[in-house]
Amino acid sequence: MTENPTNPNSPSGRTMDRYSGHREEPGASAVSDEVLLLHLKINDQQAMADLFDRYGRMVYSVALRVLKDPGQAEDVMQEIFFQVWRDPAAFVHGRGSLGAWLAVMGRNRAIDALRRRKPTDPVEEVVLPSKTNLASEVERNSVMTKVRAVLETLPLEQQKSVELAFFEGLSHSEIAARTGDPLGTVKTRIRSALTSVRKAIEA
Amino acid sequence: MTQREHIPQEDLALFAMQALSAEELAAVRLHVDQCPTCRADLAELSGDLAGVALSVPQQPLPQGARQRFLDRIAAAAPAPPPLRTPVVSIAAARWPRRAAVWVPWLAVAALIFVAVSLDLRIQSLNQQLRQQAALAAQQASASSHAQQVLDVLTAPSAQHVLLVAAKTPPQPSGRAVYLAENGGLIFQANNLNALPENKTYELWVIPANGKAPIPAGLFRPDAAGSASVVLPPLPRGVPAKAFGVTIEQAGGSATPTAPIVLAGAADVSGE
Repeated sequence: MTENPTNPNSPSGRTMDRYSGHREEPGASAVSDEVLLLHLKINDQQAMADLFDRYGRMVYSVALRVLKDPGQAEDVMQEIFFQVWRDPAAFVHGRGSLGAWLAVMGRNRAIDALRRRKPTDPVEEVVLPSKTNLASEVERNSVMTKVRAVLETLPLEQQKSVELAFFEGLSHSEIAARTGDPLGTVKTRIRSALTSVRKAIEA
Repeated sequence: MTQREHIPQEDLALFAMQALSAEELAAVRLHVDQCPTCRADLAELSGDLAGVALSVPQQPLPQGARQRFLDRIAAAAPAPPPLRTPVVSIAAARWPRRAAVWVPWLAVAALIFVAVSLDLRIQSLNQQLRQQAALAAQQASASSHAQQVLDVLTAPSAQHVLLVAAKTPPQPSGRAVYLAENGGLIFQANNLNALPENKTYELWVIPANGKAPIPAGLFRPDAAGSASVVLPPLPRGVPAKAFGVTIEQAGGSATPTAPIVLAGAADVSGE
């Protein structure tokens, strides 16, 4: 029986040899996101499975944090990855980091679901810098650790503002109404928190 | 709001989180669409938000989630060609005569079905072929252009001319073009002094993070004093704050030996 080379369940398909034409430099642990996206353009299901394995948990975890419902979080994750599968050309190299894009997309779609509104940000509008290689699990873990550490040390008011805006999807005026703080103060706290996050990522 | 009055970072952050009112969102979007500066700021802020998203503790996927997704994309993938054509059983001998009349029509219908299926499959394959051909042509064109650039830069017969203010005596000089993101470096030097046989010039990348200089290639000038280093093996993602050239023993050195004969600080764009 001939093994289907695009079968994502095929054990042989799990090796990186199938991307040998696009292998990174010796010693690299995985093919790049760009190579996987290139394979998606020819409907390579194994490449999609590899992308899912790389970022699925991350997107699901963000969605679950927002929605607090495993079923809804899985729906959000599936939709995002299915969008990548249907239209990989919408995310091309040069628009930034795929991992960062998926993380932001996971949060945005989860907030849309939470607030029961239509998706508000077409893919092409979201462009992200690629300072870190999130395709590497080591790098991802490093960013996670650094950002968690800095968020925990922020003043409580800043933590609360980020929580309400990012994870609960409240607008700045809703946050001001809930906390009783002036609008300007809410804005400044969020901006300061993000500045700290940026410094942590770049450190 | 005009293009000169950029969106404050605070509002851009809220815009990135969709945490502005509908009117404010529309106003910011209008400006951002026309303002490269604010678009760049927005990209940076979106990167910060990705960092916040990544801070979430990682949870295991629900059982079967991966398989559900794979089933979904398999169902959405182009249909494989039928392995066998439908077989029309003509057991006319056992059929009543009236039923036997329909047998040829059923066969014709089956043939039409097979023909349509094959036609659709051919169209799908043709489309994939066209996409692949376009991709290959694009890559071939890019590769050809890159090779042409390299040929010009490295050809021994290429004329290397440094333009300076008139009546200035020629000085040793070098120009480094460096892309930290993928560790790509092209260096060209002119008017270099000749070296003894047992000596060589060595190029160094001075990392912006304060770590030790990274050796970036050995070179000796030709008779005209020109030399180049093209794409030496360098680690990726190391922003440089400066570049330097030293004179070392013929085999090169792991650390630069003073004095630095050529030096240049990198600007923010990386060169």
